[in-house]
Amino acid sequence: MQPALWTSKSGLDGQQTELDNISNNLANVKTPGYKKGRVQFEDLLYQKVRAPGAENSQSSLLPSGLMVGTGVKVVSTQKDFSNGNPIRTDNALDMSISGRGFFQILQADGTIAYTRDGSFQLDLNGNVVNSKGLLLQPTITFPTGVTGITIGEDGVVSTQVPNSSTLTQLGTIQLADFINPAGLEPIGGNLFVQTDASGTVLLNNPQTNGLGSIDSGYLESSNVNVVEELVNLIQTQRAYEMNARALETVDDMLKFVVQSL
Amino acid sequence: MDKMVFLAGAAAQETMLAQGISANNLANIGTNAFKAQLQNARSQPMYGPGHPTRVYSLTESLGNNFAAGSMQSTGNALDVAINGQGWFAVQAADGTEAYSRRGDLSINADSLLENGRGELILGTSGPISIPPAQRINIGEDGLITTSPFGHDNAKVVVGRLKMVDLDSKSLIQKEDGLFHTITGSPADASASVTLKSGMLETSNVNAVSELINLINLARQHELNIKSMTIAQDNDEASARLTQISG
Repeated sequence: MQPALWTSKSGLDGQQTELDNISNNLANVKTPGYKKGRVQFEDLLYQKVRAPGAENSQSSLLPSGLMVGTGVKVVSTQKDFSNGNPIRTDNALDMSISGRGFFQILQADGTIAYTRDGSFQLDLNGNVVNSKGLLLQPTITFPTGVTGITIGEDGVVSTQVPNSSTLTQLGTIQLADFINPAGLEPIGGNLFVQTDASGTVLLNNPQTNGLGSIDSGYLESSNVNVVEELVNLIQTQRAYEMNARALETVDDMLKFVVQSL
Repeated sequence: MDKMVFLAGAAAQETMLAQGISANNLANIGTNAFKAQLQNARSQPMYGPGHPTRVYSLTESLGNNFAAGSMQSTGNALDVAINGQGWFAVQAADGTEAYSRRGDLSINADSLLENGRGELILGTSGPISIPPAQRINIGEDGLITTSPFGHDNAKVVVGRLKMVDLDSKSLIQKEDGLFHTITGSPADASASVTLKSGMLETSNVNAVSELINLINLARQHELNIKSMTIAQDNDEASARLTQISG
């Protein structure tokens, strides 16, 4: 069948993926620690119908050939790991990382996932867990009856235990870093897992080795820029319409052939 | 009679091919630094005794529109766009040096710098390896510097993007979609090409002109088909004339 039909179809597919991505970004505009995605397009291979310089007659060559492109495809969706704005919540267990780094979360299957979402709570045993109830690593457990939670910029968690006038240190929150954070795989639930492309995890305390500091009482908001997404939405919708028009035009041409001949 | 139907039929087929180029341009309206393909039709006379009345139409891709796409600000340090004329050198699938203006760079699993199509970006001495770093900075002249972990103000020079200043006439697009020099030999890096960091060059497809082109080609195609039906009518008319009336 006419290649133009499939070319337009690939364009529609691509714009549809872009639209899915924009919708996902917009849907997550209020998700703490969410990182916006970006769709990367790539033009497909070109079909050489006539090579330039092909022999036209015994004594002349075609000055230029005919190369017809075969459309577009989505190569990847890239995450943008720029920091979102810190929002003040006054809840001591809400943490935002200013700078590089990820919190480590122990998943149900025993593997570690990484997140920038710092909305932590306590479970029934006094352990620090994320909003899905998964443990923060290294585990920090609050004894019963504690008053006041203090988390320092360097990740040291301390509290006031009953019948004591001094603060007791409960542990230090370690942060994870990657050579190429864009290579992390998002698995939902604000979590990312390590891949070959991200490189191996580098664990360090906050404020060391280039890692950011922990701001207690703040949450990192989503880094989605609503205006940018809406502009993208308009652009994508128009691009979709134009590809649909190309498809329709080619279809009309074929229809005309069928009806006339 | 025969030449009329064949001429019109061949022209209709060529118009469809031209439509393919338009459809490809529209499909790539969101592909970064895509260069729209240009097409035109050329008259192709048949040579030989008794043939000069047959002039076939031939669709050609003339090359590409090398105008710069519009610049989009992204704020990402690894997004770079060439300012004015110039090209980035990339490694084509066959290992040769090819050229692209695509600047949405990222670091792959082997710590090498690649663009959004997955082609390795070439520096002045081959592919560029980026060591683990807290911050990566690409200067206007393509110089890549990094700050090691914990040393935000220190600068380590990692390499330099190879940027060349090639005349559009000396470049040809191949099946891989990349631009190659016509001679096949790599060009020298040019110091006059500069880039902007935090920007992306978008596709240079002009949607309106592609749509007009689409309509134009569709009408042209209808005319060709119409000519074919007229050829049929003529044929039937002459067939009737030759019938012996009873």
